[in-house]
Amino acid sequence: MKIPTPHNPWLRLTQAARQVQDDRDTAAPYGFSTRVAALAFAVERHRVSLVDRFALRALGVAGLAALLSVVVNYSELVAQAVPAPVATVASATLVVADYEPYAHDDAVSIVLNLAD
Amino acid sequence: MPDDDVLPFDLAGCLTRVRGNNQQAARDLVEHLYPLVIRIVRAHLPRRVPEEDLAQEVFMKMFTRLQQYQGAVPFPHWVSRIAVTTCIDHLRAQKRRPEFRWADLSENEAQVLDAVMTNSDDVPANDAMAAHELVHTLLGQLKPDDQQVIRLLDLEQKTIAEIALLTGWNQSLIKVRAFRARRKLRKLFQDLQRKEHA
Repeated sequence: MKIPTPHNPWLRLTQAARQVQDDRDTAAPYGFSTRVAALAFAVERHRVSLVDRFALRALGVAGLAALLSVVVNYSELVAQAVPAPVATVASATLVVADYEPYAHDDAVSIVLNLAD
Repeated sequence: MPDDDVLPFDLAGCLTRVRGNNQQAARDLVEHLYPLVIRIVRAHLPRRVPEEDLAQEVFMKMFTRLQQYQGAVPFPHWVSRIAVTTCIDHLRAQKRRPEFRWADLSENEAQVLDAVMTNSDDVPANDAMAAHELVHTLLGQLKPDDQQVIRLLDLEQKTIAEIALLTGWNQSLIKVRAFRARRKLRKLFQDLQRKEHA
């Protein structure tokens, strides 16, 4: 049975165009798959090496920052490390008398001190 | 045992090996999918882009996005979608569309065009190639997305649902694009007819 021809010129044109059979070879050309696979894996390696490089750089920056912070705070660190010189007996007694352990850390004792 | 009794391709196993950085498996995968990709590329090939370059780009995208493949659709469908969208991207990049002029048509193409516009007879079978060339020239006058929709609908005779699966566009958008493209084609034919009679 003959298919009725549509009046629309575009549909008639496409109907004719569909009769063309593409009989070109569809197998991959020689060396194509090797090239593509090698390129794909090279891209993958490049991406990994970028991550590596970034991580190493971050490590370097972190080390420098740590060193810088030590240099800047050197005087304070030394002051904390070296014990304070022994004061005179009188002042030492005064210090001991005034010393209230944890008075500045405990919120309850701070409130009680205020009440006093 | 006959010589041509080859084992079916183990796609799932091959994908696992590719994910494990097996280069031989990657080569096998390319060899296996090349016919599918090259058919799509040839059907949607933008002007001045060699088919092998486009096929290579499709495969490179496939390998780059392989970790994103979750298996929701069959792998060949997933690759087909990459191939179609890559072709659309290339068509979009070629902003200038050549102007369609009657004088640029070959003798056969002009005859075919005249035949489809003026009489209701079938286009002779030996003019099918000219009709094919003419269809591609006319499609070149449309916007890239509209070209793809008409190519898939009218040449490859795919359904709206299949086109949606291939392109990722929703079905309403495809219908709108098809309507707009057909209106433009109708106008193109009318202009040609007017110029021919003038």
